[in-house]
Amino acid sequence: MEINAPVPKLLLQLISSAFQRCRLAEDLCRLSVLLDLSTDNDPPITPISIADTGIGCNLEEFQDLMCPRQFNGANIWDGLLSVKTTCFSDDEVYYYRVNLDENISNRRVKRQASQAKNGAKFSGTEVSLSVFGSMDVLVAPIIGFFQKVFFLFRILNVTMDLVVKQGTSPGTQTQYVFVVNTEKNPCFTASNLERLKFGLEDYVLRHGNCLDMICDYCFSDREHLKVGSGTACSEENRKRTGGTIDVVIVISDLLETTRHCSRSCDGKTEVLYFDNFSPCPIPQFALSALKKIDWKSYGLVLASVNDQDGHVFLEWENFPSYVQIQITLHWYHNQYPTRQKTQPGINLVKKGIKNALDDLKAKHEGFLLSSHARKICSHVPDLARSIAGLIFSSTDMDFQGDCLSVLGFQAQEVERVAVEDYIQRKIVTVIGMNERKPQKDEESAPFLFFEGESETSYFEDEEIEGEYYSTSLE
Amino acid sequence: MEGKILNPEATNLLQRIKGFTRSIVEDLAEGRSPEISINRFRNYCMNPEADCFCSSDKPKGQEILTLKRGSQTYRIDILLRVLLIVQQLVQENRHASKRDIYYMHPSAFKAQSVVDRAIGDICILFQCSRFNLNVVSVGNGLVMGWLKFREAGRKFDCLNSLNTAFPVPVLVEEVEDIVSLAEYILVVEKETVFQRLANDMFCMMNRCIVITGRGYPDVSTRRFLRLLMEKLHLPVHCLVDCDPYGFEILATYRFGSMQMAYDIESLRAPDIKWLGVFPSDSEIYDVPQQCLLPLTEEDKKRTEAMLLRCYLKREMPQWRLELETMLKRGVKFEIEALSVHSLSYLSEVYIPSKIRREVSFQ
Repeated sequence: MEINAPVPKLLLQLISSAFQRCRLAEDLCRLSVLLDLSTDNDPPITPISIADTGIGCNLEEFQDLMCPRQFNGANIWDGLLSVKTTCFSDDEVYYYRVNLDENISNRRVKRQASQAKNGAKFSGTEVSLSVFGSMDVLVAPIIGFFQKVFFLFRILNVTMDLVVKQGTSPGTQTQYVFVVNTEKNPCFTASNLERLKFGLEDYVLRHGNCLDMICDYCFSDREHLKVGSGTACSEENRKRTGGTIDVVIVISDLLETTRHCSRSCDGKTEVLYFDNFSPCPIPQFALSALKKIDWKSYGLVLASVNDQDGHVFLEWENFPSYVQIQITLHWYHNQYPTRQKTQPGINLVKKGIKNALDDLKAKHEGFLLSSHARKICSHVPDLARSIAGLIFSSTDMDFQGDCLSVLGFQAQEVERVAVEDYIQRKIVTVIGMNERKPQKDEESAPFLFFEGESETSYFEDEEIEGEYYSTSLE
Repeated sequence: MEGKILNPEATNLLQRIKGFTRSIVEDLAEGRSPEISINRFRNYCMNPEADCFCSSDKPKGQEILTLKRGSQTYRIDILLRVLLIVQQLVQENRHASKRDIYYMHPSAFKAQSVVDRAIGDICILFQCSRFNLNVVSVGNGLVMGWLKFREAGRKFDCLNSLNTAFPVPVLVEEVEDIVSLAEYILVVEKETVFQRLANDMFCMMNRCIVITGRGYPDVSTRRFLRLLMEKLHLPVHCLVDCDPYGFEILATYRFGSMQMAYDIESLRAPDIKWLGVFPSDSEIYDVPQQCLLPLTEEDKKRTEAMLLRCYLKREMPQWRLELETMLKRGVKFEIEALSVHSLSYLSEVYIPSKIRREVSFQ
């Protein structure tokens, strides 16, 4: 069953909301999904429960949920959700029935008899539903969801598990547990962006979560990754809720041993998209933003964008096979709950991506240079050779020593090649720096007082012509 | 300490080159983008309304070379390559021609003009003349007549063979012991005319020095002429074709070239007089119609552009009038056209009459 078929889609929306409630709780939380495939009903029915110990649920989030009763001519579920929820400060656990078939909003949610908490202090929500048929096909998308959320966001306070019950005895239960190891992860106070950065690095090192550990063939450690991140926020106003787009880009220089790895990249760039901490197919506006980025100013030529049902891969022209680029976009609202879900505009996504690319460029001098800057860089070896030549060919030893010490070398033990290399790196740094600076003054700089080119004489080349004659004499 | 004993000018230049290198090194070490500021010079402008300052030797603007543009980075690359060669030349007190320098990195330099520009940039940057860099251009000019001198110990005794062409010395700064019995200096545009005068033994009959730059005069020829003017205080007459090229050559001797405007003072001959040939000479000296060639569109464009040059309006309005006359008549002719009367008409009639009557302007 496809991930965007009605039931898995509904299920992932419900799990995503539960995850959000856990994330926002300032305490350790558990998110538990139960798929009961053991019932003997005829026709078969699969009861599903999504329980969390996060903050209590706001009923507004059910107002816009949609899931048809039928799909491809077959009944798939009864259209009813059963919701139990309580907030920490509540005295009762409230029960509701939510009929997703009902379009009139005040009839959609019906309150049932509540249950007293008898002074107990806790919060949580359980959403239950029953779907027709044996739904073992739901296992893979749920695990995929947990993996992506777990590995990419590293939310320390949330433990996630999926229990699949195949029979009545405990031996027929399968449990998948996702607990974040606190030692190797960002701390509790890390920002969403920091977590995403860390998570994406891990995701890349393990070939998109295909491996349990870093792929030794392709990477020796995290240092091989170049990571850039950027954020862009939309302001909240009366018409829409504010949101944030976080963008993380990881570029990996793979090791030469990569050819031994069957999972190493094929030069394509995978783009992951998350909406409010939930993985989802990349929306059209994000796709447009990706297409509209001026990749050339970062030395990249976008050849094509392959969109396969929301799974997007970018392909580059003349791209080295040992480099891999991974992009993740995460859009989330600044407040919860938000019934009125907004999307970022194309420009906001573009801004986020651009910020991430600029961050990468700033952190790694000489990297992601535009074709213009790379053209300038083609002169760097010659420039460095000449500068080193001016130092080393000088007969003034004091001058030599002085220049070398300015460059941080000891005059006695230095080799010209090392100095040349160092100067090269410094020039590349400066070229990268020039590219990041606003270029608006550049046009006026060369001629401070008058336009030089307008005065070209017809006979400007007189000296050259003189030289032309003289060469015949040489 | 420098390896060889150098003259104070060379030591001073090396000091400035070292200062320049150090500033670049310092910029790079501190992560600053080096900026090389090069003054711009011009010896004329073409704005008739402007209150220009072209007659002043001061810079008329500034160009800042940075590593932000490909073309400027290439220019800095070339400048540093040439500077490295210059530093070595000056340290070792050796000389090289612009052509020698070009052949040191022909693939990088791509064209001689690229090296020439770098040499110009270096001269401007260090406020010196090309000879200070120990860069010489191979002498293109010729000289004959009532003159003898020494160049770096080598004797040039033109007096001994008045009608023989001697090459103009390359190391003009090292010319000394100039002795002359001439009454004037005659600068001719073309080698053919120079040879005509030599064949006609012009110097035997006229106490003069004849110089040609063989077309556009190179630096050595112009510097040599300037040196003779300064040392001998003789009137200088210039004989060029009556066409835009001839006039351009005359203007180059008189005002210097735009390309080397930064070193104008040592290259121009401010007192040079235009002897001919003028547009009006075709009538005065009966040049037949078939010797007069119509001005091409290109000729007209060049002439019109030259008429706009500020220095003509300011300093040589008579020359400008002649140029206007040429444009109005729409014809040009070469000096050799005067040979229609006789082979030696130029040396026996035209030049002596012009000199005698002193009809040249100014």
